[in-house]
Amino acid sequence: MKKIKCYNYKIDKNDFVNAGKVSSEIKKNLKKIGFTNRIIRRIAVISYEGEMNIIIHSEGGEIDFEIYEDKIILKINDKGPGIDDVNLAMTEGYSTAPSEIRELGFGAGMGLPNINNCSDNFNITSSKNGTKIESTICLE
Amino acid sequence: MKRTFYLEKEKCMGCTNCMRKCPTEAIRIVKGKAVIDDDKCINCGECIRVCPYNAYTSITDKIIDLKDYKFNIAIPSTTVYGQFTLGTEICKIHNALIGLGFDYVYDESWAAELVTKAIKEKVISDKILRPKISSNCPAMVRLIKIKYPGLLENIIEIEAPMEIAARLAIKKAKKIDKTLKDEDIGVFYISPCPAKTLSVKEPIGKDKSYINKVISLKEIYGDMVRELKMHSDRCFSNPSLTGLKWSISGGQTDACDFENSIAVSGLENVIDILEEIEMGKLEHIKYLEILSCNGGCVGGTYNFENPFVANSNIKHILKNIKEERLINDDIEKYKEFKKEGYFDIAIHEDIEEKKPNIKEAVEKMERIEKIYKKLPKLDCGSCGAPTCRALAEDIEEGKKTIDNCVILKLEEK
Repeated sequence: MKKIKCYNYKIDKNDFVNAGKVSSEIKKNLKKIGFTNRIIRRIAVISYEGEMNIIIHSEGGEIDFEIYEDKIILKINDKGPGIDDVNLAMTEGYSTAPSEIRELGFGAGMGLPNINNCSDNFNITSSKNGTKIESTICLE
Repeated sequence: MKRTFYLEKEKCMGCTNCMRKCPTEAIRIVKGKAVIDDDKCINCGECIRVCPYNAYTSITDKIIDLKDYKFNIAIPSTTVYGQFTLGTEICKIHNALIGLGFDYVYDESWAAELVTKAIKEKVISDKILRPKISSNCPAMVRLIKIKYPGLLENIIEIEAPMEIAARLAIKKAKKIDKTLKDEDIGVFYISPCPAKTLSVKEPIGKDKSYINKVISLKEIYGDMVRELKMHSDRCFSNPSLTGLKWSISGGQTDACDFENSIAVSGLENVIDILEEIEMGKLEHIKYLEILSCNGGCVGGTYNFENPFVANSNIKHILKNIKEERLINDDIEKYKEFKKEGYFDIAIHEDIEEKKPNIKEAVEKMERIEKIYKKLPKLDCGSCGAPTCRALAEDIEEGKKTIDNCVILKLEEK
């Protein structure tokens, strides 16, 4: 199916000032297009967790938000340092976030599992050059 | 009816104050006068509050309407108790209403206590979808319907205290005079805001309201003050302390006494918190109280007293009444009322979902984006739209033209 539109958002590491802005922007656009509430809810969670992961854990990265006629794909890519054990990171409650971040209310170890739970298709690859997540939500 | 106030056109100066404050961007200035889009208006009353020229007038019933019924009941909103000088006894306020011609006064606070019980049970038994959101403020229910439809299912489907009070009051009236029929009884609510007035005239989640007439507090405030002065009799007030708290921000959550609950008042604050919930961030919160007005219902636009002063007056009452003397036989009948469906409303049924035409919608967004790029992004409001983005949308829909932008016109010269 044809790609209708693609949005690209850059995210800086440790940028807590703007934290949540990208996912909020994505959510706003989804609402304007008129997607159903269930779809919006799922994508809002995925993009928010993805955005926070980049801010907290990575050297910075970007989110590509692609709209197709029958699906939406979110590509959440960062510039490293990568996840040592991806399987462990996918476990609910497992977290490597430092204590000062946990004090801010983040880093509960639910990020990746949440993204996985909200996706119809979830793919993750990680090396020290970066982590790439591709999350697909089917519209039908 | 979709709105319980109107604009007096000759008073409107087209100043844009209301337009900028409107949380749903429902107001535009057309030919120098404010125009409200009724499909977007949630009746929160912000425009009434900020208008420097008092151009907005409430639609209210009047004391003269008492003549339409044989037996008249007044249900003053619990906020009314905070509107008179510190230490004014609740019973005196009730007597003032009797003095104005009412036959009976029912205290809304007892209904609020019953509703508190119903909320507690619901939140404990229904663990799906957190946080549960309070349905008490009708402006907030409408806000969620219009701007956050995805959260409609979080709203707790429990009737508001004012309606429960009306049903209990009708029961009491029929007990007092056994010959009374439904049509003989007039139930009047003394309202602190346009939203509650609308919830009677155009109810959400049910077919009809048990309240017949709504008088805005400002409409009868003067008469009440005069009546209060005429009676010097000592009397004994009997409110529910749990229910009385409902009039101030944090009162509902306090009454429910949940471990994880949040109380938010004021439109901007509510919008912030709803945005967070949409991101799935507050699922650990059991109950969320949201009230449109700063400080809670005491901040309603039809109130007379400053909300902070009213808050202190209410707290004074809460502190100075001896709890052990308070009784209301309706409280013991909670289970009976629940069985009879007193607390049931159906807000979730209103959820309408249409499949979008993605391509068309994206194209429309791109057209808007293109127009928006040309605009100065000052959000000055001079064009009659609240923001440059709103103007871009209006232009795309053919409601306005780019010539409406004053800044661009000045640059041309």
